[in-house]
Amino acid sequence: MPANRIMMKQIALYGKGGIGKSTTSANLSAALSLQGYDVLQIGCDPKRDSTRMLMHGNFIPTVMDLVRERGEAQLRKEDVVHNGFNGVRCVEAGGPEPGVGCAGRGIIATFQILEKFGALSGDVIVYDVLGDVVCGGFAMPMREGYAQEIYLVTSGELMSLYAANNICKAIKRLSSRVKSTCRLAGVICNARNMPREEELVAEFALRVNSSLVEFIPRDRIVQLAELNKQTVIEYAQESSQALHYRSLAACVIKNTNLTIPSPLEIDALESLALEFM
Amino acid sequence: MPSNPSPSNSCRFEGCTLTGALSVTTSVCDSISVVHGPSGCAHHNFSLLHTTGIDNDRITFPRLVSSGMQDAEIVFGGEEALERAIRSAVSDNASVIYVLSTCIAETIGDDVKAVCSRDWGVPVIPIPTAGFLGGSFQKGVNNALLAVAGSAPISSQGVRLPGLVNIIGEKNLEFEVEENYREVVRLLSLLGLRVNLRFVHRIRADEIARLGSASFNILRDEDLGVIGEELSRRFGTPAVTSFPAGFSGTLKFLETAAGIYGADPAEAIAKERQVQEFLIRDFADIAGLAISADHLVDGSSCNLAVREITGLLDMEVVRDGARVPIPPVPPVGTTGIKRMLHRWRRAVHA
Repeated sequence: MPANRIMMKQIALYGKGGIGKSTTSANLSAALSLQGYDVLQIGCDPKRDSTRMLMHGNFIPTVMDLVRERGEAQLRKEDVVHNGFNGVRCVEAGGPEPGVGCAGRGIIATFQILEKFGALSGDVIVYDVLGDVVCGGFAMPMREGYAQEIYLVTSGELMSLYAANNICKAIKRLSSRVKSTCRLAGVICNARNMPREEELVAEFALRVNSSLVEFIPRDRIVQLAELNKQTVIEYAQESSQALHYRSLAACVIKNTNLTIPSPLEIDALESLALEFM
Repeated sequence: MPSNPSPSNSCRFEGCTLTGALSVTTSVCDSISVVHGPSGCAHHNFSLLHTTGIDNDRITFPRLVSSGMQDAEIVFGGEEALERAIRSAVSDNASVIYVLSTCIAETIGDDVKAVCSRDWGVPVIPIPTAGFLGGSFQKGVNNALLAVAGSAPISSQGVRLPGLVNIIGEKNLEFEVEENYREVVRLLSLLGLRVNLRFVHRIRADEIARLGSASFNILRDEDLGVIGEELSRRFGTPAVTSFPAGFSGTLKFLETAAGIYGADPAEAIAKERQVQEFLIRDFADIAGLAISADHLVDGSSCNLAVREITGLLDMEVVRDGARVPIPPVPPVGTTGIKRMLHRWRRAVHA
């Protein structure tokens, strides 16, 4: 257990689809749990695979699937909250099949149900949110009462930075609201091993009024761990990759550098990427 | 209908697209209208249609079914809920089923057309009625009339029957809808014409097949221009663009209808002019009064019809005159003016 209990931290990871948010989130949650913190990870993506490595490869039933099958009145907290690696509690919001319905509403409905159950508790809540903030539903984790600290996950690729920059716009807009506590907490570089990638992402972070909190290099151990249905933290606890996730976990706990971001114009973003080519 | 049509509050006239469409579809008596949305969208329209029907001495229940969308349908899509509602309507022996979308169903992108296009054993006709897209009550009326007209066979083109006229787009929710219809029937009879089809007012689905059989169409008002154009395109039927408003408007109506039909209007116009002159003499007791009519909109057709009468009765329209009720829409025909003057007389002598 940590020496001193902390005020509950609620953090959200946003970034371009496929950039590694779920891998980063699951490893971060696993690392935090090993540091003695009570962690809840909520997958906010209809793909429902955010917590799979924490659950040893199992897809847990999603809140929205359970609501559909049983009706909300029949649901209990233990139906939607599942214990994973080292006691990390896992929730998947779920949502519709691609091309039908409204996934954003699914996120909002999930939050309402979790509130009703009093399930949003612990030392750290990690919200793992899908690619872009495409509608109000996917901004839900940023709203008052939920995640105050937003981390952008990006590589040095332009499209990934572009998505991160767009999320900065959403944070800026939300943070201007009265009573809003949503702030940008930092940028995590999930590297593609491009030349000068760390420098580029660090400079991007500075330009949007934030900082690079962790550079996670590309390593095949991540794929190996996933093929073994585990997080890197569990599969190779002493690996150098695991050290990066543990370092990120320590940074998240200590981080007090919360800012209102200053998103870049598209020309400025492209010029920045060009500088580091 | 609004009783106080303040021009400063024009949003009252925009209304709900769904309600406009339902005012049409529920008037196909053996149809069922499926409202694809939350149950409240059907409920408040049911109440409105039912109470308005009672106001017009029609004690009937509008045949509405809701797909009853709830949170799960919003998240996962509502097409299965729509299928259930359509199945329910089919099992209730509807001759035709109209499926009306709502704001939320169109926001989440349910493919209403695709669901309707399956083989249901009876015609299932989708009508887009999401008001948030900028539509109004009138847009709903027009969309519904176009959709219902689409079910009339084109083959009726070329078998137009002489002396028959369609009445298009009656305002089914307006007070005096029947009185206005009877007035148009009376005027048509002066020209030897009869009504073929009230499209759409208390008709059966099989009567819609007669839509192309009339010599010409009479539109309820000019907002239905797009319907007149569509019927002209489909069936080659010309149209009179509005019910008659005011004395001179009524004479003009007779002239226009006769012109389209190819008849001589002289005798009909002479008869109607006599009726109007008799009417003015009959209301000599309120002639010369100063009246207050402060919410007349300059240039509106209602204003023109009312000003014409005040002129004929030597009335003065002033701010502090006798308060008389001004109808929200122009009185239809000579008889509409007569009813208005009766109300003025009651107000003056009250």
